[in-house]
Amino acid sequence: MSRRESRMEVDLPGKIELIADLPGHEDKAWHVAWNPARPLLASCSADKTVRLYHYNTISTSDTSDSSSSLKFELNTSIATGHTKTVRGIAWSPSGQTLATASFDANIGIWQQEEDEDGEAENNVNGGGEWECVSLLEGHETECKSVAYSSTGTLLASCSRDKTVWIWEVHPDADFECMGVLMEHSQDVKCVAWHPTEEILASASYDDTIKLYQDDPSDDWFCATTLTGHTSTVWSIAWEPKEGGYLASSSDDRTIRIWRRLPGKGDISFECAAVIEGHERSVYSISWAPAPEKEAVKDAGGKNLGWLASTGGDGTVLIWQINEVPGEPDKSPKIEQTLLARLDAAHGVHDLNAIAWCPRAGMDGIFATAGDDGHTKVWKLILS
Amino acid sequence: SRHAQFAKPHSLWLNDPDSEQDTDEDDSDEVEQIDQDEIFDLIRSISDPEHRSMTLEQLAVVSAPQITFNSKVPDRVTVEFTPTVPHCGMSTFIGLSIRVRLLRSLPERYKIDIRVKPGSHESEHALNKQLNDKERVAAALENPALLEVLEQCLSTAGRST
Repeated sequence: MSRRESRMEVDLPGKIELIADLPGHEDKAWHVAWNPARPLLASCSADKTVRLYHYNTISTSDTSDSSSSLKFELNTSIATGHTKTVRGIAWSPSGQTLATASFDANIGIWQQEEDEDGEAENNVNGGGEWECVSLLEGHETECKSVAYSSTGTLLASCSRDKTVWIWEVHPDADFECMGVLMEHSQDVKCVAWHPTEEILASASYDDTIKLYQDDPSDDWFCATTLTGHTSTVWSIAWEPKEGGYLASSSDDRTIRIWRRLPGKGDISFECAAVIEGHERSVYSISWAPAPEKEAVKDAGGKNLGWLASTGGDGTVLIWQINEVPGEPDKSPKIEQTLLARLDAAHGVHDLNAIAWCPRAGMDGIFATAGDDGHTKVWKLILS
Repeated sequence: SRHAQFAKPHSLWLNDPDSEQDTDEDDSDEVEQIDQDEIFDLIRSISDPEHRSMTLEQLAVVSAPQITFNSKVPDRVTVEFTPTVPHCGMSTFIGLSIRVRLLRSLPERYKIDIRVKPGSHESEHALNKQLNDKERVAAALENPALLEVLEQCLSTAGRST
């Protein structure tokens, strides 16, 4: 019996069902991002395009089955004008702006032209063309990731040039650089903002994670460095509700969960869990809050939601993360339970990105992007 | 080693705008069972970036026994190579040329790890890390100057020796 066949027999509480397979990119699909406000899914690729898919949201009385009627259609393919791979994309919280991070060292800012009725955001199928309203130059080499803060007032970008830039978002697509953080000793692979506070995390080829804060009377600064991974840290994701935890994934094939320690003013973290399960680099993780009805399941424990991970082994793993009380006077403990596993999600290809849909009524829906140029949409179904 | 002259600040691999460009003749078909010797045949004739008239085989940079298969998953292949000198500045480029040759020639199901022979290079860890970072490799292949040198070194690959 082959290794893969034996895996199929493992009895897990959940299964992963394919909702949509969206081919179209002519080269690797590197990243995928759900619009937080509108039914749009974006993917980006080495083919230098961004593809936008619209999905219907048929409202039915049986909400538990709403996803089975989800249909995805290509809305538009944006020829970005980037001269190299589009590596990362991020939506603003309002869903009206899309940022692109390219190997051509630039960050593109995209908005939809208003159509004749001036109702771009209400017209998901039509509306105007997506146009580049601003190009943020400054990085010296490949940009790898871009992220909006929770309020949408700040944008962070990072690059192989070892820097993290923080931009303030002004009206009329005007951006002001608030800081250039030169803390990492190697490529910065990923940036992620805290869900409620103005705290930024960055992950690097130097195997570390750094956290930054603004000093009101001075500049942005590095508040702490998290060490423990033994190779490149590819991806980071905050616990989405309170941001009390940060997850990281690495070329060392592990995922780490870091707990933010209580304390006034300063920021400090400890490693709360090391999760194994992948056989090659873990390129991407995404953390979704627990559905309301399942938030508190076990007495004494707290369901912190679902962590999805994927990477060079082509496998998707979904974990439930629980916080359980520790010994008296000790920190709580993190326990992870594997809910579902999907091998060969994009056939023989690497998976580069995974992202839960953040919109209401879309519990369990996530998207992946792979080296085959496909974007796929999946649903976690718990028995 | 005059390889050092290729190194320029913004390239991780090299930056050497050189003479005319050859196209890689990649005529390999998909094969079901691929063994050590077949993979070796794909890389043995790659030209050394410094001594262009010499192949990686002739310089003993690559050899068939340095190609190994994961015992559980035979599609996962590790290709080890031996830099000519422990401080060879072209080692990342040689590793890249091996990776690209195999990317273009092997069926898509193959996952390749490239490593220098343990103890053979003073920057062994950094080299191995860079050669197996798919993002750095992808970015390197979008660098026209680097790609041009790469194509020249790969133009001899697949020729009988």
